[in-house]
Amino acid sequence: MRRVEIGLLYSRSGSYRLLSEACRAGALRAIGEVNADPDLGLRLVPVERDPGGEADAYAPLCAEILAAGARHVVGCITSLSRKEVIPTLERMGGILWYACPYEGFEASSQVVYTHACPNQHLVPLLRWAFPRFGRRAVLTGSNYIWGWEMNRVARGLIGEAGGEVLAERYLAMGDVDVGRMVAEIRATRPDFVLNNLVGASSHAFLEAMARLGREDPAFGPAHCPILSCNLTECELPALGAAAEGLISAGPYFRDGAGAGSSFEAAAHASVRFLAERLSRHPEAGLDDLLARPGGGLAIDPATHHATLPVLIAQVEDGVFRVRERWEAVPPDPYLARRDRLALPRPQLSVVAP
Amino acid sequence: MRRLRVPDLGGARAVILHRPHPTVQALVRQLSAIGLQAEAHWPDLPASALGADFVFFDMDMGHDEQFPWKPGQAPMPMIALIGSEAPGRVEWALGMGADAQLLKPVGDSGVYSALLIARAGFEARRTLATEIEGLRARLAERQTVVRAVTILAAGQDDEAAYAELRRLAMSWRVTIEEAAARVVANGEAGRVRRRPS
Repeated sequence: MRRVEIGLLYSRSGSYRLLSEACRAGALRAIGEVNADPDLGLRLVPVERDPGGEADAYAPLCAEILAAGARHVVGCITSLSRKEVIPTLERMGGILWYACPYEGFEASSQVVYTHACPNQHLVPLLRWAFPRFGRRAVLTGSNYIWGWEMNRVARGLIGEAGGEVLAERYLAMGDVDVGRMVAEIRATRPDFVLNNLVGASSHAFLEAMARLGREDPAFGPAHCPILSCNLTECELPALGAAAEGLISAGPYFRDGAGAGSSFEAAAHASVRFLAERLSRHPEAGLDDLLARPGGGLAIDPATHHATLPVLIAQVEDGVFRVRERWEAVPPDPYLARRDRLALPRPQLSVVAP
Repeated sequence: MRRLRVPDLGGARAVILHRPHPTVQALVRQLSAIGLQAEAHWPDLPASALGADFVFFDMDMGHDEQFPWKPGQAPMPMIALIGSEAPGRVEWALGMGADAQLLKPVGDSGVYSALLIARAGFEARRTLATEIEGLRARLAERQTVVRAVTILAAGQDDEAAYAELRRLAMSWRVTIEEAAARVVANGEAGRVRRRPS
């Protein structure tokens, strides 16, 4: 039985704890499965550190994990934390398996990106929304790279489609003062709202919008839906009834007894992919590992990003119902391959009520 | 704030002028991840490099004769690859027309922003050059305008003569300078065809 240390670098407290816990659960479940599978002949030993939501704690804790003998680390939620650990990974020869949707424009040789980038969430989401709801949008976001970059790409796509951005508004991280944002939406009456707020700001905004929708159905999900690229099952309990009608894009939504969210599924798939290849080629370098055949994820060797399905789903009676699905959309983290913006025909089309 | 126009990089061609080196590999890796086609040449750029969308060039060992164009006349954005930060070498790279730079050793990042900055700088430079050329041409025609106004001023004051010139330019659908040139040509032949009033 071969023993291989594997790093876990997730914050178990702090503002994005729900997402961390989902990823961590997926990784731990995969580690359990690998260790219980005699055919793999591999025992994964987790080396875990908890940065507690502090961005500056990630790099030193990542170094601790690598110093403890792990070469592969599954971890990080925010782009800020990912960018913090990359120099450490480069210096110490570590690899990060990053299982979150992000804003793209990165392709580190030390990172494997196993969740979606914009051509796998934002681009198909907007293309799907335009003919259904219209092209006049309000863009919201938290004041950091996710919100800024997502809204920049959205503004470009809306402009190309002949639409109009009625307002683009940001809140500081953790700010829940959403009154002005909601008042502006009420005044401008957009066809849809793209929500790139995160954490508490997002929850406060969605609750306020749900109240507005109840007061005036013109702002309910049928006429002014709220779209996002990072809303998953992880946040549904925190949102309760305010989640009804929200639309989200992602590579996976809970289906029966499977993973609870795309975060959990991506972290799980990362560990399974790694374990399967490591068991047969324990000394292989990353490029070699990625080139090895095997089941599970398909990772593009040029960008280290995964080819993923794209699903668009809407919350109905407290669960995500899939409205559209495309299989195997190749990654394009720099949105440079214009031909890839043209999506193949959907495999499943469900007409919204 | 001026919005950055993000160029279409997918399928764009980047040419690298650098001796075989891990820096070239790292550059090619980043370029292909972004979606560009990259090729490296050393010691000289072939004439086919004229068709490239971007050129990355070694600032440490580079010299004018390696390029199929004159210093400062590259028809595409250029990015200097800097090892030694000696001022003489920076001076040479600026003379070649570097629009952006990357420090060696090139690692895992930096290429994408260098591409955007180089393209934006190159385009701004080209737009300004065209604008300056236009202004220079107009400036050079100032004397022609003065002569035309003098010709048209026969029997009226300068202001009325200038207004007359503007009317002519508008009715001929040409610039003031062009109209002035016509007036001068006609006037010096002794006959100015006055617009019927």
